[in-house]
Amino acid sequence: MVTPLFAFDFGRDLPPLLRGAGLTIGLVLGSGIAGTIIGLVFGTARSAPLAPIRWLASIYTNFVRGLPILIILLFLYYEIPLLFPYATFSQAITAVIGLSVYSGAYIAEIFRGSIQAVPRGQLEAGEALGLNYVQKMRHVVMPQALKIAVPPGIGFLIALVKATSLVSVITATDLTRAGRNVTSANHEPLATFLVVAALYFVISYPLSLLGRWYERRLA
Amino acid sequence: MTINFAAVLPYLPVMLRGLAISLEVTVLSFFIGSVLGIFVYLGRRSTFAPLRWLGYAFVEVFRNTPLLVQLYLIYFGLPQVGINLDPFWSTLAGMTLNNAAYTSEIFRAGIESVPNGLVEAAGALGMRYLQTFRFIVLKPAIRNVLPSLTNQFIVLFLFSSVGSVISLNELTSALADLNQRTLRTLEIFTIGGLLYFLASAVIAGSSRLAERFLFRW
Repeated sequence: MVTPLFAFDFGRDLPPLLRGAGLTIGLVLGSGIAGTIIGLVFGTARSAPLAPIRWLASIYTNFVRGLPILIILLFLYYEIPLLFPYATFSQAITAVIGLSVYSGAYIAEIFRGSIQAVPRGQLEAGEALGLNYVQKMRHVVMPQALKIAVPPGIGFLIALVKATSLVSVITATDLTRAGRNVTSANHEPLATFLVVAALYFVISYPLSLLGRWYERRLA
Repeated sequence: MTINFAAVLPYLPVMLRGLAISLEVTVLSFFIGSVLGIFVYLGRRSTFAPLRWLGYAFVEVFRNTPLLVQLYLIYFGLPQVGINLDPFWSTLAGMTLNNAAYTSEIFRAGIESVPNGLVEAAGALGMRYLQTFRFIVLKPAIRNVLPSLTNQFIVLFLFSSVGSVISLNELTSALADLNQRTLRTLEIFTIGGLLYFLASAVIAGSSRLAERFLFRW
């Protein structure tokens, strides 16, 4: 039996997908911002003057980057209700927590790399000027490191857009989950997931172009 | 319920069997996908414009959509046009295409990193075309791309966990299953997480060793 390829009813099926895309974008923004804050803290901690702080930061970034995001999400999904049996937690919140822990580690690694890419002479110049550690970081290293961090940061943001699709497994109604819901009603997985893929592309491709544009401008 | 790791240790063999399937699908898709990636790269630098566009579209489509959606298209969508693949082959197909898109970009960066002046210098020294390609282009290019390829391999390995969503019995699926049976979430996911972490650490470590042995010159 051959079914028509595009039996996708845009009037009926597109609105739920767009609502799902809204949550996907919200998750990217929420965990992207939280992840940048976590990443900034742990990334600078990797070059802290105190060794135990460096070790702690290194354990977090290296351990989390060795885990699949799906494992982090599933763990939180099952563990949070055990820890807080009476709390009513929206799955979107669990998703944001998991995605933030995940992005924090990758963004910390990006910051670590870009802080180390700032030439040592710059730090020594700050030293010669009599700046203390915080002043050196804030006025000398960070302004340069942040610029270096932008292209890989955008690269990670694209990875994050795609990683959010896994929150559908813990039943948060993102774009992918919305796609599954629509499919269970219209029985058109091929057409529906092609539309879902196209919507992800619309979210992610401009970021790819932005990243390429910025890199050309830096070069 | 108190924390008791001893209670979940008997399930370690089940987890290791899952890990074996994760590694199997990763290794297969990495090698097939990398060969495909070379062809995608060659297509992208072809003199025939439609082939270039096709290569570009392939890379951008696979790099800008989630693996999970690609797997849904293969596993749920393709049967509508009469192509039925089981969870293993669906995951393998999705990961292979995904990996081809990423590795083609890695190869491009690697080959473009060899300066043209070196190739001209080799010509001036009287090296033949194949000698030039082997010693001047390929070897430095492989050394340049090895860290990126290792990174890609680890990312691919971690994302093989997505196969569990279309019921491939790999490590993540084994963990979710054991979690339902034992309700020892913390213990199961700690051990499972450590297995993923250790496997990626071993991969990263052996790549660094290989780098040191293969490129001593």
